[in-house]
Formats: sequence, structure tokens, C-alpha cells
Amino acid sequence: MNPLSVLIVDDEALARRLSREYLSKYNDIQIVGECDNGLDAVEMINRLNPDLILLDIFMPKLTGLEVLALTGRAHGVIFTTAYDQYALKAFDLHAVDYLLKPFSQQRFDEAIARARTLLNESRPEIPALLADTKVERIVVRDRGQVHMIPLAEIDYIEAQDDYISIQWQGRSVLKTQSLSALEAQLDEQMFIRIHRSYIVRLNAVKALERVSKDAQLAVLSNGAKLPISRAGYERIKAFIL
Amino acid sequence: MHPILSHLRRLFLFQAGLLLVGILLAWFLVDMHFASWAGALLFALPVLQLYGFILTSAYYVSRSQPFSVRTASKILSVFGGAALFSSLAWLGFCFLWNSLSHNLGLAWAGVQFTNQVAIFIFCIGCVLYVMSLLAHDVLIAFENIREAERQQAATQVLARDAELQLLRSQINPHFLFNSLNSISALTTFNAEAARAMTIELGDFFRKTLAVSERKMIPLAEEISLCEHFLAIEKIRFGEKLVTQFDIQALALDAQVLPMFLQPLVENAIKHGIYHLSEGGTIRLNGIIQGARLHLEISNPIDVGVLVSAINKTQGTGTGLKNLKARFENIYGSQAKVSWQLLGNIFSVNIQIPLGILPQAEATAILKRVS
Repeated sequence: MNPLSVLIVDDEALARRLSREYLSKYNDIQIVGECDNGLDAVEMINRLNPDLILLDIFMPKLTGLEVLALTGRAHGVIFTTAYDQYALKAFDLHAVDYLLKPFSQQRFDEAIARARTLLNESRPEIPALLADTKVERIVVRDRGQVHMIPLAEIDYIEAQDDYISIQWQGRSVLKTQSLSALEAQLDEQMFIRIHRSYIVRLNAVKALERVSKDAQLAVLSNGAKLPISRAGYERIKAFIL
Repeated sequence: MHPILSHLRRLFLFQAGLLLVGILLAWFLVDMHFASWAGALLFALPVLQLYGFILTSAYYVSRSQPFSVRTASKILSVFGGAALFSSLAWLGFCFLWNSLSHNLGLAWAGVQFTNQVAIFIFCIGCVLYVMSLLAHDVLIAFENIREAERQQAATQVLARDAELQLLRSQINPHFLFNSLNSISALTTFNAEAARAMTIELGDFFRKTLAVSERKMIPLAEEISLCEHFLAIEKIRFGEKLVTQFDIQALALDAQVLPMFLQPLVENAIKHGIYHLSEGGTIRLNGIIQGARLHLEISNPIDVGVLVSAINKTQGTGTGLKNLKARFENIYGSQAKVSWQLLGNIFSVNIQIPLGILPQAEATAILKRVS
């Protein structure tokens, strides 16, 4: 068996220590790093590309799911969490493996064995889970810096080829994601897809402007004017009028 | 909302009533040979419609006399005066309307407006007006009852919510499982610390169960409970969590609601210290001032986190609002709960009156005594 590299991510020192202890019996597994917050985890995952990540879900700065969204990592992840099972329904739905704290050596071993068989196979479960989970803010990496954009600050999002451009408070940043995929992660009461290429935040829209019999524009408080398709108009009129 | 005008069914019944009285009036006029049927109806129906408006205004007269402060003399003068005035006004209109119909020049139009007719109309007017006042009284009473029931249901829901919140805070899964995990980790390299933590955990849960049954506890007990909680959290957070308690000795005897401080401390950690990479200090101050207990709990926060926490449905906002509701339920307006953010320090201020029993207890005692 090839030696496995493991990264331990948990904000609690005692929890990391416990994982270290459980791993110590494996002489073909090497711990290549530990971190206690999501930002460091992103940096370490990109730099070290470990075979396996023990990932806590609830962490300061960035959550475990946001770390995966940012790194695009879809293989070799074992989630560890103290959450009660009710919060993990989505995980069960997408058959994503997790360990509930406190866990025994035996359960830990079973999870490691499972992960070992699926090693380096990019599995669809994690992207499916991420796509299915509503986000509370948009996280995007831009030139080495991580932006965490609260939903309430976003004005609109525009599709640009393979990217989307997120416009917030006079700034913009590109993210590799399709507009439809982002749409699924946003609250549909707060964000409306008004056009094939545009999603707008409802509260940022000041008024609707009619330019011709069939065409309307959404006028935002920041002055921007966005086109509205016919289908988009059907969606937005229920909220505006 | 006018009880008749804004309910279609009642309005319909009212109109039907007016029609009936109109026909009766016409019948009286015909019977006394003061007019023909055509003339009588032409006279009676419109004037009754007009009086209908005046009758509905009786609602406001009725409402102006709240039931609790009514005296016989006041009612007689106000209601009587309104009835007399309205009837006289109506009489005047009837006379005018009749004159107009005479001027139409139609043989059958118009009524002989004798004194008999005038007195009859005036009497009907008074009677109708008094009936209207009484009917509106009844409708207002119904409305009052409905409003009281609605309010009672709302307070019950709020109280139940507070109870549930209390129960949840006693069995906090996240806290429990993280603590057990820490104990599990400690067992192999620091058995003593593991044992100490299991004991703190046991003490904490035992105390929360014990206080949940009581209505009030001394502040000293609530703080002891928080200290068990903090002892456990300090093992998880290490140096990141620092606390500074400054409670006046006299304040320790003050009677407070059980489990009101512990959720605040927990929030200070969950929304404050947790997100700061260097951690921070939670400060708690308590003094007695002017027959009130003043408490202030403050902690540093990461401002960016607070923004997104407030935008979520669960966050500091909801917990504090629940606490405020719980206080209002027990103390009414005598307790004050407020919170503010100054720079990066978030603080919660609580003022509780001393030596005053919560309203429910006071009422129960009064009932036993009387």
C-alpha cells in the first residue's frame, strides 16, 4: 500500500490531538499538516494536496464546506463534526461520509478504510452536496486573496463565458462557477434570475424601466441598468408589484 | 373599523332593517290618510336611508364611553343628548325633503306634515338611535373580548417559546458533544484533566436541571452555573478565553430568573471569542443601584462576523429578543434589557427590580389572601 498523506483540520487542539492519536497506529499514514481555521486549510490543501483530509465542518473564518468550495476539492474528505444528526440530513442524502464526535477508534478505522478504497477518485457526492446547500455568503479566491462576500452586500451577478462576475459595493470579482449553479445555492426570495446572464438581489433594485413594448430594464440603486428577459420578468414581477 | 359598515352581512341586515322601518312609517302615514302609498314611500324610504348614516355614527358615541368608567348620569346625559339631537336633526331633514317633494308638482308626491307626524317621526328617531347605541355597545363588547383572547393566546405562545428556549439551553448538543470529545482526547495523556472535565460537565447539567424547576434563584447560583460552563469551555479554548467577573457582594443575593445569564455567556463565546484568532475577554459586572440589579456583560467581536450573523435567522438577535420577551412576561415594563455595539465591543445591559415578586407570583399570593 502506498503511504497516505493526511491533513487534519479542526479548530480545537484537543480534537486534533485525538485524531493524531487514532492515526498513530497506521505506519503507512503520514500527517503532513494541521490547521485550526478554514483560511489556513485552503492554503494548505492547495500547497500540499494531501490524499486525505480530516475536516471539521464548523470552524471560524471559513466553514468546512466553504473550504471545499474554494479549493474545488472533491476527493478524500472525512468530515468530523459535533453537530447533531438533524443538521446532517443533506450529508446523508448525498452519501457523504462523516464522523460524529465523540467517535471511537473503531469507527475512525472504518472511515479510513472506506476512504482508502476511493482514493484519488473524484467522487460526485461532494460537489452535489455543495450544489444542494444554500450559502450564507459567497466565497471566492482572487489572486491569492480570499473574499467572503455577505449576500446582503451583493448588487448583482453577471455571467461571463465560463465565469461569473460578482458585483458588490462598487467592486467586482470573477468566480469559476456557472450562473445556474450559483442560482441553486441562493435564496430565491432574495435573488432573482432576471435574464440568462443576470441574477440580481431584489433589495438592490430601485425600479423597473420599460424601454419598448417587450423589453424592460432593472434599475439598481447603484445606477446600473440590467436587461430583463421575458421569463425573468415573470419571476420578478411577483416581488416588485 | 366600524362594526357594521365594515362587515357586509351586518350592513345587509342593517339595510333590510331600515327598509322595514321605512315601510312601517309609510304604512302609518297612509293609515292616517296623510299621504298616498306612492307619496308615503317616496317620503319614508329616502329619509330612513339618511337616518341610517346618522345611526351608524352612534358607534363613535358608544365608543367614547369606555365600559369601565361609565356612570348612570353620564350615560343618560351623553346618550340622551345624542339621541335628542340626532332625532331633531332628522326631523329637520324630513321636513326639508317633504317640502322638496311638494315642489315637484306631482299630485301624489308629498305628505301632510302635521304636528302628529312630526311627533311620531321624532319618537321613532329617538327610539332608533337608542337601539343603535345599545347595538353598538354589544358589538364593541364582542370586539373587546376577541381582542383580549387574542392577546392572551399571543402571550402564551411567547411564554411557551421561552420555556422551549430554556430547555434547549439545558441540553445543548453542540456543547455536549464537543465537551465529550475533549474528554475522550484527554483520557490518554492527561487522565486527571479528563476526570476533572467529566465532573464539571456533570455538575453543570445537574445544576441546570435543578434550577429549571424554580422560578427564581439567587444571582450567586446563576454565576456558579456559568462558572462550571466556563471551566469546560476554557479547556477547549485554552488561552483564547479569558473571563473577568466583578460582582458586588450585595448583588450576589439578588433573586434572578434561572438560566438567563448562561445563554448570554454562551453567545459571547459562540459569536464573539470563537471568531477571534487571538481570543478575548468576557467581562461581567454587577451592582445594586437604586433598588435595582444592574448587570452588564461584554465581549469583543469580529465585526464582519456580526454582520452576517445578524442577517441569518438564528443569531445574537433572536436569542436576545427571546430573553427580552421572557423578562417582559415576568416583570412587565419594570425590567430593562438592551444591547449595543461600540467599536468592536458588544455589550448587553440588564436591569432587574429587587424585592418585587414576578407578577404571576404576586397575583397568586393576592388571590390566596383575599
